[in-house]
Amino acid sequence: MTQVLNHRMEELREVVAEVLEVEPEKITETSHFVEEHDADSLRAIEILARVEKMYKIEIPQTELPEMENLGAVYRIVSRYAGWQD
Amino acid sequence: MLEYAYLTRVLPHRHPILQVDRVLEYTPNQRIVAVKAVTGTEPCFAGLADGLPHSSFAYPSSLLVESLGQAGAALWVLSARDGGTVLDGTLMFGAARGFEFHGSAYPGDVLRHEVVVESLKENSAVMRGETRVDGRLIAVVASMLAIARPEAAVAGSVNP
Repeated sequence: MTQVLNHRMEELREVVAEVLEVEPEKITETSHFVEEHDADSLRAIEILARVEKMYKIEIPQTELPEMENLGAVYRIVSRYAGWQD
Repeated sequence: MLEYAYLTRVLPHRHPILQVDRVLEYTPNQRIVAVKAVTGTEPCFAGLADGLPHSSFAYPSSLLVESLGQAGAALWVLSARDGGTVLDGTLMFGAARGFEFHGSAYPGDVLRHEVVVESLKENSAVMRGETRVDGRLIAVVASMLAIARPEAAVAGSVNP
C-alpha cells in the first residue's frame, strides 16, 4: 500500500512540476505553489484538469483554492478517486 | 454549419480580429471544426514593401494562435448555450502549452482548425487542437486554457 501511495504521489509530483515548469525535486508536499513556485490561479486550474483526465475523476472547481501544495492536491484527488490509504 | 454572421453573435471579437469565418462541424462539449480563409488583403499584410519573398506573406503565428483559440472559444460558448447556460463574464485566453508549428499558411490558403475538449467547467475550459491547410499539418497545441471572469474583475478601475 505504501508503494502505491508513493507511486501516486510521484505521478502527481510529475504533473505539478510540468505545469509549474519546475524540477520535480523542488516540489515538496508542503512547498507553496504561489509563494514558492511563482504559480498563479491559472496553474491550479491546469493541474486540476490534468489530474481529472489522468484518473478519470471529476473534481468541483470549488476545491481550487485549497490546491496550494502537492500534499493538498494528493488529499483532494484521493478523496474524489476513492483511494484507500 | 454556422456562418460568419452567426459567429458575431457567439464571439465578442470583431473585424479585423475575428479570426474564424465559419464553423463546419460542432459537437457540444466535445469538438468543433472551424475554418478561416487567409487572403492577401489581411490587415497584417498591409503596407509591406514590393519585392518581398514568399516567406514574408506567411500568416503570422500569433494570429494563427488567436484563430485556433477563437475556434475553441466558439466551442465553449456554443456548448454553454446548448446546455442552457450563459458564460458569466469575459472569456480570457489563460495559457497554452505544447504549441508546435509545422508549417505556414499563405494568402489563398484555408486554415482548418479542429479543437477538442479536455475539460469544461463552469468558468474554465481546457482544450487541445490542430490546424491543417489542405490536410497538411500547420500547428498543434497540446493544451489551451481559457477562463471566464466577471466583468468587474476584468475591467478594474479602467471602466467608469
